[in-house]
Amino acid sequence: MTEDNLPCGVPFDEILDQVTDHRPPRDPRHQATCPTCRATLAELGDVWSLIDELAAQPVQAPTHLLHAVMDRIRELSAQPWYAVLTTPQGDTKIAARVVGALARLAAEDVPEVSLALGGGHHSKDQSLAEVAGPSGEAATDVGVSGTHVVVDIDVIADLGAHLPHLADQVRARIHQDIASYTGLTVAEVNVNIVDVHTTERID
Amino acid sequence: MRFHQDRAYLIALRLTGNPHDAQDAVQEAFLNAWRGLPRFRDEADFGTWLTRIVINSCHHQRRRQRPTETFDDTTPVSATPATDLIVEGQQRHRAAQQAISELSLDQRSAFVLHIFAGHTHAEVGRILGISESAAKVRTHRARRAIAATMHEWEES
Repeated sequence: MTEDNLPCGVPFDEILDQVTDHRPPRDPRHQATCPTCRATLAELGDVWSLIDELAAQPVQAPTHLLHAVMDRIRELSAQPWYAVLTTPQGDTKIAARVVGALARLAAEDVPEVSLALGGGHHSKDQSLAEVAGPSGEAATDVGVSGTHVVVDIDVIADLGAHLPHLADQVRARIHQDIASYTGLTVAEVNVNIVDVHTTERID
Repeated sequence: MRFHQDRAYLIALRLTGNPHDAQDAVQEAFLNAWRGLPRFRDEADFGTWLTRIVINSCHHQRRRQRPTETFDDTTPVSATPATDLIVEGQQRHRAAQQAISELSLDQRSAFVLHIFAGHTHAEVGRILGISESAAKVRTHRARRAIAATMHEWEES
């Protein structure tokens, strides 16, 4: 059925396009007198009528679909500072500042990053509980929605580091740590290199 | 909104071949679109952008679930002689949808957008991020594959 040319020399694709696009024949005189072309046309027309019928079938989204989406959006909007992991056993909410703290710690683990900055920066010798606890402020800007997070982070690099490469390493490390520690999906990590550091590492 | 919702559902239904998967994919797509709305830029038309998200959601949906499943997007009817025509129609629709489901994802996306959503090849190319001629080739290969599958179904 799908040979390149019909025995009369007309390309099979020409007949296929005629049927599927509902086009007039390229050579009406030949087609009117060629039994091979007419037989192929009839056969393909019959086969393609199934697709045409399916395409003509009206399809409407179920009415509850939009309501379900809007309910979910309302729920997510009501919890802008928490990422929510939903399981059949219950929901787990992770505060944005926890994600921010993890991002900052991940960034500071990258060699040649002196410091990941933020309004509430804490040094690396503090425990994660202290960094991410109620008294800790988010050191980075973190947007959370459902299971997706977007991280904007400011870092200070060691002088001499290749900055684009460093930013890629920070990005990769943040992606990896947030995914493995929280199970959240990191949609975006924007790295701002705001300064360079010349000698010792800052605490 | 109703237009975008119906269009998204139509595309998802034909791509996944299953109303449940289609609903999940559309729901995920709308949530992703809502999350990504602040980053939506005017270089793409809103419908094009949304359609791209729907297609991605369908691909994710497919990866998460079993590769193929018997679909049925029609209302069951009781088996009486009077309903023979309806049943036959449903079988034909199932066979057509099955033939579409057997296409590769690339071909299926191009085919569904062109044949069911009524996009031109240029629009299909823009949505899928490929050239117009590549969209044309994918659609054409899909047509050949479907014609062959449907031919076998009719013969069987």
